[in-house]
Amino acid sequence: MSLTRTLRQGLWQNIVSARKNVGDRNLTRMISSSASTKEAQKAEEKKQPESSATDLMPAPALNRARFVYPEFLPDPKMEWRNLIREKLERSDMMKRRRNIDIPEFYVGSVLAVTSSHVHAQRKVSRFVGICIQRQGCGLRSRFVLRNIIDNLGCEIEYYMYDPTIQKIDVLKLEKRPDRELLYLRDALPEYSTFPLDMEPIPLPEGSPVPVNDIKVKMKGRPWTQKWEKKGLLGVEKLEISQKNLIRMARAAKPWEKHDLMLEYRKTIPEEEQKEIFSEVYSELHQLELTRRKMKRKRMFVKPVKSA
Amino acid sequence: MFCIRRLASQVPNNFFFSRVSFIGTTQSLSSQQEGAALPVKKRFQFPSTPKVRYPLWYLKQERVKYNERLTDENKAFIKEIVHDKYGPPAIISGIPSYQLNSPLKTEPLARGEWSTATRRCGLIARKIGVYPMWDKKGNQFLTTLLQVVDNHVVKYIPPEEYKPILRVNRYLRPNKYGCLIVGAESMDPQNYTKQYTGLFNEAGLMPKRVLGRFHVSPEAAIQPGTPLYATHYRPGDVVDVRAKTVDRGFQGVMKRWGFKGLRATHGVTKSHRRGGCIGGGSKKAGVWKGKKMPGLMGNRMRILKGLKIWRINTKYTKIYVQGPAVPGECNSIVYIYDTILPLRKTYTKPAAFPTHYPEEDEQPFPEDLYDEEAHGLESPTIFFEEEK
Amino acid sequence: MFSNLASRLFHTTSASSQLIKLTRLRVVDNSEIGKQAMLEGKPPRIIHIYNKSGVGYIGNKVLVAIKGEKKKGVIVGCKKHQIPRAPKFDSNNVVLIDDSGTPLGNRIHVPIPLMLRTMLKEKTYKKGTDYTKLLAIATRFV
Repeated sequence: MSLTRTLRQGLWQNIVSARKNVGDRNLTRMISSSASTKEAQKAEEKKQPESSATDLMPAPALNRARFVYPEFLPDPKMEWRNLIREKLERSDMMKRRRNIDIPEFYVGSVLAVTSSHVHAQRKVSRFVGICIQRQGCGLRSRFVLRNIIDNLGCEIEYYMYDPTIQKIDVLKLEKRPDRELLYLRDALPEYSTFPLDMEPIPLPEGSPVPVNDIKVKMKGRPWTQKWEKKGLLGVEKLEISQKNLIRMARAAKPWEKHDLMLEYRKTIPEEEQKEIFSEVYSELHQLELTRRKMKRKRMFVKPVKSA
Repeated sequence: MFCIRRLASQVPNNFFFSRVSFIGTTQSLSSQQEGAALPVKKRFQFPSTPKVRYPLWYLKQERVKYNERLTDENKAFIKEIVHDKYGPPAIISGIPSYQLNSPLKTEPLARGEWSTATRRCGLIARKIGVYPMWDKKGNQFLTTLLQVVDNHVVKYIPPEEYKPILRVNRYLRPNKYGCLIVGAESMDPQNYTKQYTGLFNEAGLMPKRVLGRFHVSPEAAIQPGTPLYATHYRPGDVVDVRAKTVDRGFQGVMKRWGFKGLRATHGVTKSHRRGGCIGGGSKKAGVWKGKKMPGLMGNRMRILKGLKIWRINTKYTKIYVQGPAVPGECNSIVYIYDTILPLRKTYTKPAAFPTHYPEEDEQPFPEDLYDEEAHGLESPTIFFEEEK
Repeated sequence: MFSNLASRLFHTTSASSQLIKLTRLRVVDNSEIGKQAMLEGKPPRIIHIYNKSGVGYIGNKVLVAIKGEKKKGVIVGCKKHQIPRAPKFDSNNVVLIDDSGTPLGNRIHVPIPLMLRTMLKEKTYKKGTDYTKLLAIATRFV
């Protein structure tokens, strides 16, 4: 009896310690900008790098790259993974990035995309809108812009690495607390209205990307999705009926946040992330520096000598 | 039994070694029949896997890894010998393999003249994923990446000696095509049986993980030991791809044949996904032959024909073929052939005949070869001309 | 009685984003009949789609029932999820035309997809329906 008990205790301790370790790693593994993004980042900054031998790139750089260039991380589905294909995909992405400047932006940022369009009269079309979704990885990565033009909501999806895109301008760089802003479809129109000739709002250099904590007001029902069940942070508090509360409690899966295997299958391990970003990060960084230099040049207008 | 007799009569004398083991021996069958007074008719059971017809060169491949009790020194010695003979282990385009410099042991084969009836050798590749590409008009389409790893010609059997097991009219006409055995992915010889490694001795190669057979015209024969590259094809060529489809196991008629099933409501019980009636009444009596029914789905060899090659990566020996529909899972083996579609195949001499010999090139190929209509991402942004 | 009424006010089935027969559309031009129908809260319904699949897409011609009349129209925007670079709108928009292709109104108030410029031109034949007049009354392309 005592033997089994001690064994059990030992096992339990092992599990606890393992969970602690993995829990720490989970924090570092967060890829998408979810609600706890900020906390995770803070935790990251506090954390010291554990082993210097395996460090292919410094931890802060990795943290930044993970959020700025999320499309460089491959699909974590094991059956579809192939290291060589991923490498080729990355090299192709870099080839495209050498041609045009694909800036840093997040869900919630306002973008203007200028692209060649066969059907347009001048063969160029420009669309301004708020980024409501970013999905896919590698060359398939794409984003959705939403705007309200002439009182009608329009959305256009773009491939990030589409060779017909001539220019991507970030008019307003900011984040939102939610992963996707699809609820803007059912929100009041003023939250997704942006003038087509919107002036870029510059962000002071070196300042962190601000998180917009705006609470969006929703239109009356019917909605396209059951937003009240999604636990949205960027929406004014939604009323949930007693019946729905009971249903939600029944359908809730509180154990999922402790499911390590689920987390493991959803994410790319940190070591692999390091390998991936160490391959491309230096060049990405260089491209970023040149972009900043160009920006400064554009901002600084040479004073003209008046007579 | 049938298989073995046929093989024994056809195979060249020095081809097999003393002991050849086949799956499904005759002994067990005969003993069963002796025990019973009357031969009991066995109830038909659906085979768990598709019927396997072993090709001529089939030999037991993998060795039982029993404990040989070798000392560390001896192990190191064996490794050294392998290293001396075949060179150091290498990772060739992402797959652990061996760098090979084949010493051609036999006299070189004379290269033939190409004619419209000539059939060329193919390649063995791995399907490694689906990948988007863009054309010059800015349209996106999907391509499948096929990775050609370490392909070498292992053996050539001329048409006179080659007697395939299944050949229509074999008594009527002489055999037109010879057989070219190609291997892919070199492996450590310690993992394989002596017989299997012996297959590669003549060509001076390491044992290969995968072997494939290609029927070629005698003028398209290639010297054993010659490496085959992705540049065997060129962008714009059209190929057929043969591979095993995804194994879906035992499936019902809705998934396997796309039947509609029965209704969800209106009194239907326990038959929502059934096929319904399987035969007629009165005179027709019984189930028609070939009736589509539930059963094992997938895990069969299937050929997808007429795939255009959009891009070739010479550094990693990769071929980008049209479409996401190449059969099989990611990281599975596929066989590539010149297309047989009469309207798609070219009636001019292919750029690489009988195969591509890079040492004969004046200039090395660039890393990426694109089709004329494809847009490489390194080229600048697409602009369209304005209407007038 | 009351509960019965309330249950009729909303659908319990999920909304189909496809344009099929009996789908309600929004008239986006300023034709008299279209304006009145929209103001009365009786938007037109599709009663036929002139293609083989029976599902309407951008650029398809449809027959609609509007204010007790049958009118033809061209779909100029869908709620349905679109391929990349094609716009998706918040409503299913239609522009009413007559048999010769002339729009009933003289102004379209909302943006219409750029690809219509090519699609409608391709559909127009010398002696058939002339759809390109629809493009002339559009105010903005997306």
